[in-house]
Amino acid sequence: MAIIEVKNLVKTYKIIEKEEGLIGYFKNLVKPKYKEFTAVNNVNFSIEKGELVGYIGENGAGKSTTIKMLTGLLTPTSGNVIVNGIIPNQKRIENNKNIGAVFGQKTQLWWDLPVIESFRLIKKMYKIPENEYRKNLKKFTELLDLEELLEKQVKNLSLGQKMRCEIAATFLHDPKIVYLDEPTIGLDVFVKEKIRKFIKDINREKKTTVILTTHDLKDIEDVCDRIILLDKGQIIYDGEKQKFKDTYGRYVIAELIVNNIKDNIILNNAEILEQNDNKLKIKFSHDETTIVKIMDEISKFCNIEDIHMKEAELEDILKEIYKGVHTNVKNNDATSKNAI
Amino acid sequence: MLKTMMQLAKMQFNQYNIYKSNFYLFTLNRIVEVIVYIFVWQAIYSQTGNAGGFTLSQMVTYYILAIAFSSIATWGINETMAHSIRTGQINKELLNPLTYFQYYFGMNLGELAFAVVIGIATFIICAIFWELALPVSFLNFILCIFIIILGIPITFFIQMIVGTIGFYTNSIWGMQIFRKAVIQIFSGIVAPISLFPLWFQELSKFLPFKELIYTPINIWLGQVDYSEILFVIIKQIIWGAVLYIIAKKFFNHAIKNITTNGG
Ligand SMILES: Nc1ncnc2c1ncn2[C@@H]1O[C@H](COP(=O)(O)OP(=O)(O)O)[C@@H](O)[C@H]1O
Ligand SMILES: [Mg+2]
Repeated sequence: MAIIEVKNLVKTYKIIEKEEGLIGYFKNLVKPKYKEFTAVNNVNFSIEKGELVGYIGENGAGKSTTIKMLTGLLTPTSGNVIVNGIIPNQKRIENNKNIGAVFGQKTQLWWDLPVIESFRLIKKMYKIPENEYRKNLKKFTELLDLEELLEKQVKNLSLGQKMRCEIAATFLHDPKIVYLDEPTIGLDVFVKEKIRKFIKDINREKKTTVILTTHDLKDIEDVCDRIILLDKGQIIYDGEKQKFKDTYGRYVIAELIVNNIKDNIILNNAEILEQNDNKLKIKFSHDETTIVKIMDEISKFCNIEDIHMKEAELEDILKEIYKGVHTNVKNNDATSKNAI
Repeated sequence: MLKTMMQLAKMQFNQYNIYKSNFYLFTLNRIVEVIVYIFVWQAIYSQTGNAGGFTLSQMVTYYILAIAFSSIATWGINETMAHSIRTGQINKELLNPLTYFQYYFGMNLGELAFAVVIGIATFIICAIFWELALPVSFLNFILCIFIIILGIPITFFIQMIVGTIGFYTNSIWGMQIFRKAVIQIFSGIVAPISLFPLWFQELSKFLPFKELIYTPINIWLGQVDYSEILFVIIKQIIWGAVLYIIAKKFFNHAIKNITTNGG
């Protein structure tokens, strides 16, 4: 049985419609008008123990809303959530024992006190055995470089330091499942890298199930094996990350340094993305042509000095999907079903 | 659970005491209050010679104890809670493996521990300058403390009720002032209950507040029958249960707002 099971999940928010003026104000008091907004619309997925899942989508796609329902903080409008055999919003405390969660920059650490005091509280709340606590603390201190921070007051820490401590606090009781809702927002690359490595290490060692939402797709590239792509409250892709890239990112971007451009360059099976005096950026698909053919074509127009190629990254692909290039992802739900 | 409570209490205590000057300031504040009340009553006694059945030296003891106990009666976590609601911090606290009430009860204990420390310091300093009546017996001393302890759940649930109002308004400042005023008047901090009109005395017999200050002091001074003490104990337990139910129902109702409409 999967550790997280989500069936036909729907969340509809009721928003009070404010009317203008004094009369509107009183009308609202007597009989408020509600507007409904469906943030999560019939979502289905199941996640196995130990999976690293990237839950991605544009701003407002419904990621946080889903995570809140998974943690039990939000009651679904309809549909089911079962986490580790429990319905989270019905048995919140029991569910809380199994999970850890990070929400953006909100912290569970006590502002005025040294970090270690909050860790001690966590130890007692979750009844972590002494030796287990020490082992974890030692390991986390090493992995996240907390040595200097533990005795400092939280309010004196920088954002990156605070987030490292927060991540440690979240994993301290060996939760079965961890929800990370934009944990890397506003952090510098070095901290981001530490956190990514930490998540991967802990997952490898303890089979912790992790669901991660982020706007930095490098997080997903580095950490996740599977992605669930959400668009306007609906899942448009769910499957292996590599498969996603293979399906929608079967193209290569090449940057060429050239000189002596003679004519307007026209290529048959490649798209020119950028061109100036001595630089040419093109995109082509392996299905349609090969690099050798392309270079042949290009050399008719100019001399090639150097060439640099890279595979399409998640970010490139997603940008295209949002722009509507891959209409099949958006419109054909069957694609996502097949991809699972 | 006990260990968690102790850690929470310790943390809340330290949070208060992070600036040692907090301790000195609060204690000084209490002592100034004692001095003001004692001056006022000395003036009254020089005119009338008697008030509410207390001698002047009993009245001095009354105020020193009343002020020493006053923080225990009026302090608590309602502002901390309202702040957590306002900032959305509550979402993190709801993910703790213990109930919101348990979590805040632990914090409340820390706050009260700080109130006790200030109370004791106030008492000791005042005992140096004024002659204080000691408890009439050891049993009375124990009963006095016991009645105060029975008040802890009562003030805690009231704190939770006021804190929960934070779900509905941006500021609970007004409610907090109201809560404090009610407790100060009905508990006997402002003046001994026996000085108030009869209807007020009758009313306060059934409210749980005079057991926060007035009754424990009178037990200390040996002016309460044991049968009445028994009545008071039962009354406080019933109030504790009633306020628990009200606080819990109110909180659960408010929390539904969050869990259906989002934070
Ligand atoms: N409490 C709320 N009340 C009304 N609408 C909300 C509430 N929370 C979120 N929404 C709306 O639901 C949509 C999804 O929000 P969210 O789940 O936070 O998206 P994401 O995390 O993917 O950016 C957004 O359009 C947002 O405005
Ligand atoms: Mg979000």
